[in-house]
Amino acid sequence: MTRIARRAAALLVLAALVTGCGVTVYEPGVYKGEKDPLLAMHAKPEHKAQLQERFTKGQAER
Amino acid sequence: MARMKFLCDSERCIECNGCVTACKNEHEVPWGVNRRRVVTLEDGVPGERSISVACMHCTDAPCAAVCPVDCFYTTDDGIVLHDKDLCIGCGYCFYACPFGAPQYPQKEAFGVRGKMDKCTFCAGGPQGKDNSDEEQQKYGKNRIAEGKLPLCAEMCATKALLAGDGDMVADIYRERVTKRSTRPQSWGWLTAYQEDV
Amino acid sequence: MKLVKKQTQEPGNSTAATGSGLLGRTVDRRTFLRGTGLAAGGAAVATTLSMRMMKRADAATGEASGDVVTKRSVCTHCSVGCGVIAEVQNGVWTGQEPDFDSPFNMGAHCAKGAAVREHGHGDKRLKYPMKLVGGKWQRVSWDDAINEIGDKLLEIREQHSPDSVYWLGSAKFSNEQAYLFRKFAAMWGTNNCDHQARICHSTTVAGVANTWGYGAMTNSYNDMHLSKAMFFIGSNAAEAHPVAMQHVMRGKENGGKLIVVDPRFTRTAAHADQYLRIRSGTDVPLIWGLLWHIFQNGWEDKQFIAQRVFGMEDIRAEVAKWTPEVVQDVTGVPPDEVKRAAQTMAENKPGTIVWCMGGTQHTIGNNNTRAYCVLQLALGNVGVAGGGANIFRGHDNVQGATDFGVLADSLPGYYGLAAGAWKHWCSVWDLDYEWVKSRFDQASYEEGKDQTPAMELRGITVSRWIDGVLEPAENMAQKAPIKAMFMWGHAPNSQTRGFEMKKAMGLLDLLVIVDPYPTHSAVLHDRQDGVYLLPAATQFETYGSVTASNRSIQWREKIIEPLFESQPDHVIMYRFAKKLGFAEQLTKHIQVNGEEPLIEDIVREYNRGMWTIGYTGQSPERLKLHLENKHTFNTTTLKAEGGPCDGEYYGLPWPCWGTPQMKHPGSPNLYDTSQTVAEGGMPFRANFGVEYQGKTLLSEGSWSKGSEIEDGYPEFTADVLKQLGWWGDLTAEEQAAAEGKNWKTDLSGGIQRVAIKHGCAPYGNGKARCIVWNFPDPVPIHREPLYTSRHDLVEKYPTYEDRKRFWRLPTRYMSIQAKDYSKDYPLIHTSGRLVEYEGGGEETRSNKWLAELQQDMFAEINPADANDLGVKDGQWIWLEGPEGGKIKVKAMITRRVAKGVVFTPYHFGGWFDGQDLKDKYPEGTAPWVRGEPANNAFTYGYDSVTAMQETKASLCKITPA
Repeated sequence: MTRIARRAAALLVLAALVTGCGVTVYEPGVYKGEKDPLLAMHAKPEHKAQLQERFTKGQAER
Repeated sequence: MARMKFLCDSERCIECNGCVTACKNEHEVPWGVNRRRVVTLEDGVPGERSISVACMHCTDAPCAAVCPVDCFYTTDDGIVLHDKDLCIGCGYCFYACPFGAPQYPQKEAFGVRGKMDKCTFCAGGPQGKDNSDEEQQKYGKNRIAEGKLPLCAEMCATKALLAGDGDMVADIYRERVTKRSTRPQSWGWLTAYQEDV
Repeated sequence: MKLVKKQTQEPGNSTAATGSGLLGRTVDRRTFLRGTGLAAGGAAVATTLSMRMMKRADAATGEASGDVVTKRSVCTHCSVGCGVIAEVQNGVWTGQEPDFDSPFNMGAHCAKGAAVREHGHGDKRLKYPMKLVGGKWQRVSWDDAINEIGDKLLEIREQHSPDSVYWLGSAKFSNEQAYLFRKFAAMWGTNNCDHQARICHSTTVAGVANTWGYGAMTNSYNDMHLSKAMFFIGSNAAEAHPVAMQHVMRGKENGGKLIVVDPRFTRTAAHADQYLRIRSGTDVPLIWGLLWHIFQNGWEDKQFIAQRVFGMEDIRAEVAKWTPEVVQDVTGVPPDEVKRAAQTMAENKPGTIVWCMGGTQHTIGNNNTRAYCVLQLALGNVGVAGGGANIFRGHDNVQGATDFGVLADSLPGYYGLAAGAWKHWCSVWDLDYEWVKSRFDQASYEEGKDQTPAMELRGITVSRWIDGVLEPAENMAQKAPIKAMFMWGHAPNSQTRGFEMKKAMGLLDLLVIVDPYPTHSAVLHDRQDGVYLLPAATQFETYGSVTASNRSIQWREKIIEPLFESQPDHVIMYRFAKKLGFAEQLTKHIQVNGEEPLIEDIVREYNRGMWTIGYTGQSPERLKLHLENKHTFNTTTLKAEGGPCDGEYYGLPWPCWGTPQMKHPGSPNLYDTSQTVAEGGMPFRANFGVEYQGKTLLSEGSWSKGSEIEDGYPEFTADVLKQLGWWGDLTAEEQAAAEGKNWKTDLSGGIQRVAIKHGCAPYGNGKARCIVWNFPDPVPIHREPLYTSRHDLVEKYPTYEDRKRFWRLPTRYMSIQAKDYSKDYPLIHTSGRLVEYEGGGEETRSNKWLAELQQDMFAEINPADANDLGVKDGQWIWLEGPEGGKIKVKAMITRRVAKGVVFTPYHFGGWFDGQDLKDKYPEGTAPWVRGEPANNAFTYGYDSVTAMQETKASLCKITPA
């Protein structure tokens, strides 16, 4: 190999090390959007209970 | 803890469009975008039935399955939401949805599609903090974050439209069905019993 | 392929191609909303929707932020009285929440109620006073407007008479505004004062009150949970009273049977157990047809009739004529269906009857309403929970406006116009009777057989106001025709004969429209000047009380300040009173802050005077306590179970007897003898005398629980108390006030208090009467509509003779019916409501959320008729009535209407004779949706007692446009 080629290869390896070994792989079906702060709050049982209470208050026959 | 569900009790639905305007009101939905609409079968003749339809927040949502940019996500209890920033307005979710829930506001006179908009179960969207200006501007209000339920159901004139924990919704419906017991006018009676009314 | 996540755009960045916002394009912020972008959308509307900033919202300060304040009010649309919760930030109405606590709606709304927040946007609101100059609208100041109008009014008063000014008021006034308005008209000196009740339930009030005492809904919407049979005739509650259907559905689920009678298969009929299609205008034959089966099979409640009903024998004689075959010929309903309905009512008790405009809007409206009452009396369904005559009133406060006498024939409280009534109110108002008398035209006029002074002569009705302009003076029972017309919170397109109305408007000297919106009145005429538009605030921009159809009174809080330059009605009234010179008398005992009469003082004033119907116990404090504790009331009985209002009924439904100190709980179900009077029960009113033709009119063997008089008894006067030995129960103060008075005129309330203490109803214990001997038809009979498709029946069932003077005007009947129009106008034309709109419609058609749902005026035509006419669905057609009024509308082909029947919704306006009048509106106020007023094609015809218009049975012809 020429010296230039060897240097190019070295640079490539360096670049790869810096960016991390990986190509961007597309994962089908996995959400790609922003994280929704609602999810964390909504997963809590207290929040679920609050919604159940609200349902009884408003939609059950009074 | 069951999944969040809508149920429209068509025995009680009177096509008043309260659910439709409640949604418009709460989220300032523009003219031409119909997140929720009332469908009437057999309009004007005996057997007329109405049912309010919006996004059904499917467990295995076809819209999510076909989206090329994967802009959909689901809460742990089944509310299907999407990120408008990612949406490319391709219309695939509209093809896939059996209920016609995805709406595309017209951008121009020639009907070029804008971002997909649909019922959010009043749970907003991903951008910004809950009920931030940004979230409201893009998706409307986030009632779930406030511990409230979808306004369409909370304001239904006859409590035909119910929204909430699927088990609780089912309980109410079951109680009504039991109370109603035998009536030839119940939907499906004639099909089931082929009786003359 | 690599998909790269896009950068998030900055909101409001106008250069971003893919931007943000609901439309996926950049949106300007409406800064007064919490950051939610309102974007113009939809090809149809994109050019007309503009994105103006709301001045009120202080655009300079950016978006509305800050703490959310919650205000509680009541929807301003229909009489169900749904609670509205408003969220307000920085004075801007930013959110609407369901009022779960309200026992009336429990959070529910129909399309209109769910959209009331739009009133806070006010896109199409009238923003400032305007005046028509040279055919163009010019802005004027309030002061200039009031001065100019006032000067003109005084000029007209001088040149002609006070009766030449017509004060048309509103069912959308609060109770306090309605009361003040009637007092205002009295101070001005005319009885030419009326409101929507005339064209809505006037025949109900007259017919029902003359049957058993009060002309209001006897039970309540909630009470229908207990009904085992519900008979709807001429009522499309699914569209006109949607939230009432919540209660109907609960009744149904409790086993109640729903019967719907209507010429159309309405959305309500779609939920019925039995539907009967009748020919428009044949209500009496149908009811008598039901009674034929009931009497035939002995299904009537004989004990109830013997004890509490007068005159049923005369009804039997009339009913005997209505055999099943005759009923089928006249109404079109087959015998077995009539029998089945009768049997359902007989076997499922308690049953209730519901009727609305389908029954009231006829030349024989008062016969219809009385027949409905007689049916219930025969079945023994009155005065029981789950039974009664559940009359669904129209506008949100038409009940209150009626009660407060915004009527041409009465002062507040149905006292009437006789000298005694005037003296009563003058003593409440603390005004000299002679002074009030001097305000009127001093002459007397002939109507019927009497010469009556103008002050005591009932005025012209809203249904006939155009004739008050068009008729020559010598034909009228007043000095001169109407020269100035106030359309104060009242649309014009809800009255018939629109083509003639246009002419009448052209002839006026002055037309003043006081309304949050310009209304169809602004554009119907071709005037160049003499028209003023004064912006009134909605009820959401002020506070006060409102009476729902079930007689419950609810308190409204102010949600936002009046938008733009609008003012609340009572402020406008005060300003006019000042200009016209009677402000002092108008508000003698009412505190005025700046120019606003204090609402609470108005309540206290009418509490001192409304003894007839018991608006005396509902003080502002008691009403506000109910507002705070809505959730404590049972949703079926409306009774508070525990809590601060324990034992009271929600809204203290009138009659709430006696003074507020007496703390009467209100009366939920009228005429219920199973409850003591102190607990809200009462017998039928002894209103018609003690005996008639030798037979007693007092009840026999029936009395209220706890009554010390175990028999019928007449109404209570000071003398009656003395005779009974109960006079001593009055305090010295009460005795001083009650001496020589009766339960209606004793301002201390002592007579009422003592009567109730002894278990008696102040108004007596009488029988309901099936024959009203002072009406044109003592026994309700059938008469064909003036314009009928069955002219062959006119001989047997003719209409009335023409009248020389009736409510001051010549009124025609037979001279119209004599001609057969059915060959040239072969289709029956009837009208009704849509759920998205209300009344004249300008308010709701200006609400974009509602307007989107119903974008075209239309006529429903049966497929067979359409094919005969060569008309397709959606096609433009001309619909013409026999008097030449015609409208251009779209055809909607549907089987809802039978062959030979055409239906039009009456809410549209802003068109005339095929032309869209959009450009005649002041800039920016044309409603989103406009259309032909159905009433342009409707015809002459007025009820024989109340002058209600006949809009449910007319004729038309249709041609493709």
